[in-house]
Amino acid sequence: MTIADKTELRQPAYGNAHGLKWLAAEAWDHLWPWAGRGQAARKLIQGAGFALAIAATVAWVLAAMGRLEAGAIIGWWFGWSVLEVFVRLDAKPYVKEGPWWGHLYRRATVMDMICYVSFKNLLIGAVLFIGLKSIGALQV
Amino acid sequence: MLSLRALRRFLPALASALVAGSALADTYDVKLPPELSTSPKLCDYAPCKDVMPGATSFSERRGQPPFVEAYKDEAGQKKLLGYVMLSTDITDIPAYSGKPVVTLIGMDTTGHFTGVKILKHSEPILLLGIPEAALVKFNNQYLGKFVGDNIEIGKSRPEENLIGLDAITGATVTVIAQNQVMMTSGNEVAKQVGILKPVNRPQARFIASTATPSWAELVSDGSVQRLVVKAEEVGLKSDGRPYMDLWFGYLNEPSIGRAILGKYGYDGLMSRLSAGEHAIFIIKTAGMDSFKGSGFVRGGLYDRVQVRQDKDSFTFRDLDYVNLWGVSASGAPAFDESAIFIIRGKSFSAAYPWKLIFLGNKIDKETSTKTFANFDKEYWLDAKYLEGGRPKVVKPDPTWLKVWKERAVEIGAFTVFLLLISVAYASRDKLVRRSTHKNKWPVNAFKYTAWVVSIGFVGFTAMAQPSITQVLTWFHSLLFQWKWELFLSDPLIFVFWIFIIVTVFVWGRGFFCGWLCPFGSLSELLYKIGQAVGLKRFQFHLPQKLHDKLKWVKYAVFFGLLAVSFFNMGLAEKLAEVEPFKTTFLVGIMNRSWPYSLFAAGLLGLSIFTERPFCKYLCPLGAALAMPTTFRWFGLKRKEECTSCKACAKGCGSLAIDTKGNIDQRECMLCLDCMVLYYDDHACPPLAQERKRRTKAGQPLTPINGKGYYIPIHPAPADKKQEGAAA
Repeated sequence: MTIADKTELRQPAYGNAHGLKWLAAEAWDHLWPWAGRGQAARKLIQGAGFALAIAATVAWVLAAMGRLEAGAIIGWWFGWSVLEVFVRLDAKPYVKEGPWWGHLYRRATVMDMICYVSFKNLLIGAVLFIGLKSIGALQV
Repeated sequence: MLSLRALRRFLPALASALVAGSALADTYDVKLPPELSTSPKLCDYAPCKDVMPGATSFSERRGQPPFVEAYKDEAGQKKLLGYVMLSTDITDIPAYSGKPVVTLIGMDTTGHFTGVKILKHSEPILLLGIPEAALVKFNNQYLGKFVGDNIEIGKSRPEENLIGLDAITGATVTVIAQNQVMMTSGNEVAKQVGILKPVNRPQARFIASTATPSWAELVSDGSVQRLVVKAEEVGLKSDGRPYMDLWFGYLNEPSIGRAILGKYGYDGLMSRLSAGEHAIFIIKTAGMDSFKGSGFVRGGLYDRVQVRQDKDSFTFRDLDYVNLWGVSASGAPAFDESAIFIIRGKSFSAAYPWKLIFLGNKIDKETSTKTFANFDKEYWLDAKYLEGGRPKVVKPDPTWLKVWKERAVEIGAFTVFLLLISVAYASRDKLVRRSTHKNKWPVNAFKYTAWVVSIGFVGFTAMAQPSITQVLTWFHSLLFQWKWELFLSDPLIFVFWIFIIVTVFVWGRGFFCGWLCPFGSLSELLYKIGQAVGLKRFQFHLPQKLHDKLKWVKYAVFFGLLAVSFFNMGLAEKLAEVEPFKTTFLVGIMNRSWPYSLFAAGLLGLSIFTERPFCKYLCPLGAALAMPTTFRWFGLKRKEECTSCKACAKGCGSLAIDTKGNIDQRECMLCLDCMVLYYDDHACPPLAQERKRRTKAGQPLTPINGKGYYIPIHPAPADKKQEGAAA
């Protein structure tokens, strides 16, 4: 969203960090959807999110052990992605605005969050999927 | 409500029309009898007579790779008419779908093609759009042509002794693959039956040496090569072991031969070889199966390994086999199967590169049928073993590279066009400053040029309209089997997609959708033409609230197609006919069955009255590109006043500006109308207000800065004024 209304802008908890510290915080933010210190979150969504994240992680581990088929792991990853949208909307309801190397963030609409989570998880999923496939743990 | 009701009626009708259209595809993904690829009596399961006119009987499969002989009865005697081969017995070259086109090929005793019949294909483009008859017509071009001729897709070049075949427009990748299938199959059989003579290559002369390299040294200089076939490559479940892990090398070269066999073993082997005969060794260090197979027990032929040098292949019979009891080289791995094979073909030369081929069968998980699959590894003696070093070998360009070379001018022109339009868009700040809300030509000149070129050249001439089917194919390829050659075979589409991916992240999908998509350009051009010819009073935008609901339909279409593609790619391809691109550019509105033509014509007709209805509400490709657009780097500019002023929003043809004045970049087509207003002090309300105030106060109209305001006039401080006066 190209912003006219400045009240749409947001500042994440790590927003004031700079340099490597900011980069590390940004990476962590992409990987950890739950609220950090000083951020509010609803316990129910947080709990459900943790539960499904553990299940999805177990699914990836099973896949790595060659005990889960490609379709199943794609299903798990999709299921987790759906829940991650809700977790993030609750705990980290913002997305990057403008250049990725910039420090501007804005309020995320549901569609913004769907786009963000699906794109991010597609990349993460593809890396894990191709990695497991190349070592022969996952068969298609 | 009325429109929703109409939509509910229209969709089932469209679906049944699509299904009716698909019924025309005769051999699309048909189920073939499993015996077709396994039974010795090929012609009991395949219409061999169709490709060998006049034949009355056929032999069983013979040879390696297999073929059958066709006979006719002549005065009570069987007369050999020619040969029939099943392409998938010989090669596993995949077509656009990633699966081979199963083809039955007939060839007479002089090596001329007598018939070609497609038994099964999985090509989506031939399912809907291009009729299968086009592929039949393409195949008919082979009839009467000699298998040894240099036949390629494109124009004939007599000066290069090259016979050209007419491609099928819009199915280039399919026909390129089909040509490889035809020529490879024909060549393999023609060589076996003596129609094509082997090439005579100068024999290698070895440099005398007494060195006995270790296994590690042999591996490092390439004297021993490794061929690994993974279990999943042959459709088996992996248990951590490869399906086949083979090491092999050439034994005639003295230092390699002595290192592997020991001095006495080497001398003994060489004494058994006649002039022009060569020995190779193979050991299996791991694997689930035997590389020798059991074919040699029944027919005396080792049917799992062969050697190929350029177009000549060398198979091994039981007489060509010698036991290999051990490997002398220090550090050699343990093995559980071994062999020495003698290459008796006189055309083989160790001075030139050759390949060890492992001939496997891939098991289809869904149907449990076996399809032919081969795996190879190149071997070329290091120059240090050869007198005069390695000879110069010119390897033929891969097919995709040939296509790029042939279309170099077209590709170059297209790339320049894309870059020029990008430069124009990157200079948008300058262009919109030169425009006014009454004269937008500085922007439109570039945009309209892009539209016209896009429609005429990209759409109708080059047929490079990007499509959601490519997104689905790429998505599946990314996860399952990525093949660069597949995507490189269509250079314009490839270049266009690289460009689209880059520009979506830089500016958002609006640059492609609004400026360069052939169908989008055609759609908006029709709207503009309608405006120019007096239809403006009939033109309309949907109410914003309705638009805000309907815009989600395209995302549903995209996700629906993506979901369906995971279960049934063929069905997803059929449903992708929601894009009227194929009808408009590839096949032509007048050339398709009426449901498709009506759909495309209806959308284009509607485009005259409302701006880009397909792009806004239905386009799955637009939706797919809109999602990453959420993270585009550079957007359009807004002012704080935009939150309350609705001037831009009223003129926004994409209906992409919300009530708060924010631009939804997922919907924005980057027409730049709002940016023209942004700098126009006669149109942008806050700017016009400031202009009037300054004019009234007698203040100068300073230039407009990058934020869309007049540069502020700051009175010089009093002490500075005094200093100035004193000076």
